[in-house]
Parts: sequence; C-alpha cells; structure tokens
Amino acid sequence: MRVILAEDSTLLREGLVRLLAEEGHEVVAATADADALLAAVDADPPDVTVVDVRMPPTHTDEGLRAALEIRRRHPGVGVLVLSQYVEKRYATELLSSDTQGVGYLLKDRVAQVQEFLDALERVGAGGAAFDPEVVRQLLARTTHVDPLSHLTARERDVLSHMAQGHTNASIAAQLYISQSAVEKHINAIFDKLRLPSDGGYSRRVLAILRYLGS
Amino acid sequence: MRIRWARAGVRLLGGTALGALTAVADLAFVLVAAPLLPLRSPRFVTAGARWLTGVERRRLGLEDVGEYGDRRALAYLAVRWPVGLLGGGALFLLAYGAVTATGAVADWLSGGRPDGMAPTVPIVAYLTTVGVVLLFLDLAGLAAVVTLERRLGRRLLGPDDRELMRRRIAELATSRAGIVEAVDAERRRIERDLHDGLQQRLVALAMLLGRARRNGSDDLYRQAHDEAQRAVEELREVAWRVYPAALDELGLAEALATVAERSPVPVRLRCDLPVRPAPQVETAAYFTVREAVTNAAKHAGATLVDVAVTAPDTMVIVRITDDGTGGADPGGSGLTGLARRIAALDGRFTVTSPPGGPTVVEAVLPCA
Repeated sequence: MRVILAEDSTLLREGLVRLLAEEGHEVVAATADADALLAAVDADPPDVTVVDVRMPPTHTDEGLRAALEIRRRHPGVGVLVLSQYVEKRYATELLSSDTQGVGYLLKDRVAQVQEFLDALERVGAGGAAFDPEVVRQLLARTTHVDPLSHLTARERDVLSHMAQGHTNASIAAQLYISQSAVEKHINAIFDKLRLPSDGGYSRRVLAILRYLGS
Repeated sequence: MRIRWARAGVRLLGGTALGALTAVADLAFVLVAAPLLPLRSPRFVTAGARWLTGVERRRLGLEDVGEYGDRRALAYLAVRWPVGLLGGGALFLLAYGAVTATGAVADWLSGGRPDGMAPTVPIVAYLTTVGVVLLFLDLAGLAAVVTLERRLGRRLLGPDDRELMRRRIAELATSRAGIVEAVDAERRRIERDLHDGLQQRLVALAMLLGRARRNGSDDLYRQAHDEAQRAVEELREVAWRVYPAALDELGLAEALATVAERSPVPVRLRCDLPVRPAPQVETAAYFTVREAVTNAAKHAGATLVDVAVTAPDTMVIVRITDDGTGGADPGGSGLTGLARRIAALDGRFTVTSPPGGPTVVEAVLPCA
C-alpha cells in the first residue's frame, strides 16, 4: 500500500517509516506537520494516511483537522488517526462524513505492531479500524442506552468487535463461533437497534459507529 | 549645592505662604459647609472639598496617598487650616523681624538712634544675638509647620486601617488565585513533558521491539536496548525538571551548582547564605534562577549569566543578570508562574529587559 505519514516526533516518524518499509508498504511522504501533510496528499494521493492528532504549531488537534480535510478533498484516501488519549469528539467528527476508510487508534497501539498493521490494511482497503478503548468509551457514553440494553451479552461482544472494524471471519475466530453465527448476531443487532442493514459490510460498521457516537 | 539650598528655601517660603492663603480659603469653606452637613452634603460641598484637598495634595507633594472619601476630605480641611495659619504667622514674624532689623541698621548708618540706642558694642552684640536666636526659632517653626502639614495629610487622607486591610485582602486573594493557576500551568507542562517526550520514546521503543521480534534481528534488539537507556535518561531529566531532589537534601547552593553545570551558557554563581532559608524560599529562589538561566540561554542568546544569591537582614535576594539581547516578555508563562510563586511568599519580583539587553531578573524574598 502507498502511505503518507504525519507525525511530529522524529523518533516515532522514523520508526514508522522503517516498519512500513519492512512490511512492504511504500511510504510516499513522511511529514512533521499538518500543512505539509495536506500538500503531500494533494500532490500525490496515497491509499492511506497515518495522522497524529497533536502536532505543531498549537499541539492540540491540528492533525484531526487535517484528517477531516483529507476526507473532504479525497474521499478515496483512507485516514488512520493516532491520538494520545481517547476523545469521543474525535471519533464522532471522523465519522461525520459518509466516506469509507477511516480509523482511530490510540498512539500506544503502534507498539502492538501486528494490530497496527492490520488496522492500516483495513483502513487502506476502505474499511474501519477503531481502537478497542475508543469503542469501549463510545459504548459507555452512548445516549442509546435503552436500545442497547436489549442486546444479549453475546450480541454486545459481536457489536464491540464489529465497531472496532473487524471482519466477520475475524470476529468468528476471536469469539470462537462460526461465521454464520456471527452473521446471525449482526442481523439481530441491526434489528434491535432499528438500523438499516443494507449496503456492504464496511458501510454497516460505519453505521454502527455513527449510531454509538450520535 | 548652594543652588539646591536656595531652591529649597524658596520652596519652603513660597509653599508656606501659599499654605497660609489656602488656609484662609479652607477656613471660609469649612465655615460655609459645616452648617450644611446635616443636609446630606450638597454637590458643591463635596466638589469644593475635593478641589481644595486636591490643591493641598499637590502643594505638599502627597500625590501617592490614594483614594479618600468626601467626608475625609472635609475633615482634613477642617483640621489643616489652623496649621496653615500658623505657617502664615511664622512668615509674618519673619518679615516683621527682617523689616525691623533692616530699619535699625539703616537708622544707625545714617547717624540716627533708633529707640534712643547708640550703636555701642554691647548693644549691637546683644541685639545681634537676640536676632539670630529669633531667626533660628522662626525658621525651625516654618520647618515644623511643613512637617506637620505633610504628616496631617498622610494621616487624614492616606489609607486608614480598614483600607489597608481591604488592600491586603485583595492582594492575598489575587496571589492565592495566582498560585492555583501556577500549579495548573505547571501540571500542564509536566503532562506535555511526559506525553511529547517520554511517551513518544517508549512507543518508539516498543515498536522497535515489535519489529525486532518479527524480523528476529539482533541489530534491532541492540537499537531497542540503546533506546531503553535513552528513555531512562529522559525520565531522570523530566523528574529533575519537576523537582530537583538535591534541593531538599543538599540545599540551594548545591542545587544551583547543578543548574549552572547543565546550562549551555557559562554561569557565574555566587551563593552567599549564612543560614539555610525556609524550604519554600529555597524553592522559589531555585526556580527563579533556573527559569532565568534557561531563558538567557534559549531566548536572549547570552554568552554569560551572572547569578548572585545574597541574604541581607531577613531577606534572600536572587539576582540574575545576563549579557543577552534583552526584550524578555514578563507576561510569558515561565515568568508569570515565577511572579505568582514569589507573590505568594510576599516577595517582590522584577524583570528589567530593555531591547538590546541586558536582562536583570530579581526576586526579593522575605524570610521572617
């Protein structure tokens, strides 16, 4: 995959560049701030961008602003945002536009190399990748307590995994159930939450995330 | 010197003469205004009292006494007019004496005999002695009138106990809020230190280890080992920036020596403390020096920083001078935090940093 990075810590940026190169990805550009990131993406849109939320000059959320801008200008480019801590607002803002290929990971997750690479693949392929911690907080703070209370424990497990962006096969493997059982649970979830269950799988994942964050 | 004396003399005489004139005005005003007082002080009374008091304040150079109410202005006028008239009396005596003496001398010179007295040696000596004594007494009286006037003004127009208390409370409230803000700012800085420095390093380290495990590469393990050591160093650095343990254990001089050692710019350090100050004074002094030294190196482009810590009387004075380009902003977060910390100890904090330098940062910390 072709990747553009934006991370202001030189140490982490270099580490990410090496890691991605070792895994056979092509790092088109590695930038240290939001403006350089936007310029690089405009010049040569990649499959996916990895963006740190906190970057110069103000060290608040310029990375997120840039990520939202990329989603607006280049709907085909996946955006994987890395954040120091979970902020529900970041997740909901990222989900606000109806495009695919979006992810939000805690920065520490980069250390779990396999998980990070999986998430990158999913986002690059137009899917979703949300940190388990992000999903946990979305579930904990959602306003839809009532409909969610009708889910069985198993359905909540499936919902949580699905919200992280895992595929049916991956959910089945992690929960030790069959794929058809996963599908059954997902249908039940969409029924109980009264969400439209049409569209592809990744659309349905985004629908779930938007539902939780709204 | 002579000019200064002459000027002071003219000012004394002129001021007293003016004071005597305004005393008449004050008296007239008080006589008119006093019967009107039960009528809730009409506007012209309060305005007049304030105007006359303003004149006296300027005449006596008491611009710094601060705010006073209408009633206090009126009370002041009522008390000060006799003193003003007293000054006028002293002036009159001076003039009367001068005229009498001049007249007598002129009479003698033209061969006359004032009051039937011939200018014999005993008589001239006697009269001169009496004249000088009287002149001295009169001048002393004039000086006393001026002193009395000023003291009266300060006493009656200056802040009373209530006002002083009110000011002190306002000061305490401000410095207390300031300390809370300074603590928050400090926490924010520590959070940033940890997140932007140490956490990045640890994530990068973990990532290195992840890559090493995937590739089974000895070189990556070696890099990870180095990186772990750097993370430990960084942690020590962050801890030192939060609070240097040496300050508690070894005292201010030792802790400052470490600051000097770590500074990228040469620091000349003189620390002259006969006894160890209280811990909060030591901490304030320490952080003042560290912030000033950091600023001198980082922003002022200094080539030498001079740090002097002295303890005259019951104070500790910390003075940091650098030869940099100046233009320090006292509103910057570091200096503001220091100012608040020092204000909370009832200390005084000044930064003078004209464009082009030099910058002088001074903290005066009471340690009673």
